[in-house]
Amino acid sequence: MVTTKALLELRDLRVDVAEHHVLRSVSLQVRPGELLVLMGANGSGKSTLGLTLAGHPRYHVVGGQAQFAGHDLLAMDVQQRARAGLFLSFQSPPDIPGVKNNLFIRTALNSVREARGETPLDAFDFLGDARATATRLGLPEAMLGRPVNDGFSGGERKRNELLQLALLKPRLALLDEIDSGMDIDGVRAAVDLVRDLRAQGTAFIVISHYLQLIESLAPDAVLRLDQGCIAETGGLALARDIARTGFMRTDQAASEVVTA
Amino acid sequence: MNAARADALSARHRLEQDGWIARTSEAFRHLSPPPAAVWLGDSQDAAASCDASPLEYAGWSVQPIGARPTGRVDARWLDAADAAQRTAMLAGLPLPGSDEAAPFAWAHRALCRRGLRLRIQGTEAADGATPTVWLQLRLRSRCEVDAPLLVIDLQPGVHCVLAEVHERDSSSCQRPLVHNVQVHLRLGRGASLQHLRIATPATGDKLAHHVHVKLDAAARYHQTLLASGSADHLQRNLFELHGARAAAHGAAVLFAADNALEQQVHTRHGAAHTHSSVDTLVLAEGAARSVVNTLTHIAPGCDDAIARQRLNGVATGGQPKIVLRPHLEIHHDQVQAAHGATWGALDEEALFYAGQRGLDALLARTLVIEGMARAVLLHGVENAELMDSLGIDAMLALQVRQHLGSAAAVSHG
Repeated sequence: MVTTKALLELRDLRVDVAEHHVLRSVSLQVRPGELLVLMGANGSGKSTLGLTLAGHPRYHVVGGQAQFAGHDLLAMDVQQRARAGLFLSFQSPPDIPGVKNNLFIRTALNSVREARGETPLDAFDFLGDARATATRLGLPEAMLGRPVNDGFSGGERKRNELLQLALLKPRLALLDEIDSGMDIDGVRAAVDLVRDLRAQGTAFIVISHYLQLIESLAPDAVLRLDQGCIAETGGLALARDIARTGFMRTDQAASEVVTA
Repeated sequence: MNAARADALSARHRLEQDGWIARTSEAFRHLSPPPAAVWLGDSQDAAASCDASPLEYAGWSVQPIGARPTGRVDARWLDAADAAQRTAMLAGLPLPGSDEAAPFAWAHRALCRRGLRLRIQGTEAADGATPTVWLQLRLRSRCEVDAPLLVIDLQPGVHCVLAEVHERDSSSCQRPLVHNVQVHLRLGRGASLQHLRIATPATGDKLAHHVHVKLDAAARYHQTLLASGSADHLQRNLFELHGARAAAHGAAVLFAADNALEQQVHTRHGAAHTHSSVDTLVLAEGAARSVVNTLTHIAPGCDDAIARQRLNGVATGGQPKIVLRPHLEIHHDQVQAAHGATWGALDEEALFYAGQRGLDALLARTLVIEGMARAVLLHGVENAELMDSLGIDAMLALQVRQHLGSAAAVSHG
């Protein structure tokens, strides 16, 4: 039997934000091409996990380990993590006034390509790819020429995240509520993109509250985060159970799902 | 003694009589300019001669911008030492008044050696339209202490794009310069001027640029300023909106790194339906001292005047001093006016976002700063295409790189 080595492995990860213990103990593994869904009530630590793994300076790791592709993720700075293939789709992507979207994405893409030892894309080649991908994702081409996320609607910002995901082709993508603010076509485009990238080996950790999206993604595992710990692990049944009963679950209900 | 010499001595006498700018002066109290002797060339620093080649051209030069139309331009280079030329040079210009910057104007009149007067007229194309006139002006000096004059009359209905460049290059004098420059722009009815100004002095230079713009009815003036700090650097604008529906817009990005830079913009609304705006972004580093003073005065009777001031200061590193002072004086009820000032650090979330996409820290900072600056400068151009046509993006990129380069040198120094 061949066991694929974990792409991301977290052991007892503990994170403080402004002296609050937000993540108390998180351990998980993700292999290439796998997709984990992370569920949890507001404030349970889902976004904190994503931002911590991406290296946000406000999130302080106070204990535990994180290995990414065999390297100590916590020893890398923000851009090293990105260049190593870790992508975070932001829940609320910030705007960058005055910086054209296509310039920003091309600069990002070439930074990552350079780290991979690939030749940088010139503006012409990049624009061809970017336009085709934007069209596939339902993002108006005009958005490429506008400042990054400046004046974008919620759905357009999320589509812009998907555009970057599609072009950067990371090894691991953390999607933080990628569905929020998007219309049904956008959600469908997201599902299709995740499926395509997953087939190419990209692993995913998807944070979502919505069962329809979770079912469409056919996850390998569903994890429930509660008060900074992985409280439950299961399959789609867990997601369906949470959708039915909510997060205010008794220990009894939780143990029933885990043993089911 | 000839009349020109007498006039210069009279100005010097007036300056001595009235005195230099007081330390308590409201407009100058945060960055006091060097004393009159510096601007008159009386200080010891100015005693040494210039080290530029004697063959090097000095003064204003007028050039086309690429192959774009230059219209009909009457240009007169005038020698202030000659009585007749001095009279022609100063014709129609107001005497220095009693405002806080008047001592600069008297010092200028006392020292001014030469001036350029341009009268810009359009030429009618075959289809009857009046093409925009494109000009570039460069000021080079072989004098360590100089007081150049520029007067431009834009005839009614003429549209002009003017790039005015004050930068040091390797062929010019490499000693520290002292420049007290006076620029008078007069826009006739319905005329428009897109004015790009670049003022990037060397570290030891002392600069004072006074730009006085008078607008007749329906005239439009857009100024885009890129300026960097030096030993002492003042950029002072006075926009006078005399005619109804006149509009003046100033957008500036100021870079200060361990040096001094001040911008003053005074706008006077004197007619109905006039419109003004001031957008300034200050990027300051290290021990820089940077001040922006804006004062907009709306006179009685200015129905439906619109005035806006937006000042933003960003500390890019170190502990710079940034003073932003937006002021409005409104003497009429039926107007729209807004002003605001914000200052802080670079947007950490934007920097993290860029880093998360793989950009290294310096590239992320460069991109974010360029973006902020570009967004401000867009307020100072009549249309976004001009940013490309005038190469503003490239100049901005250069300034940002130099600023961040200075910052790196400061932090490692």
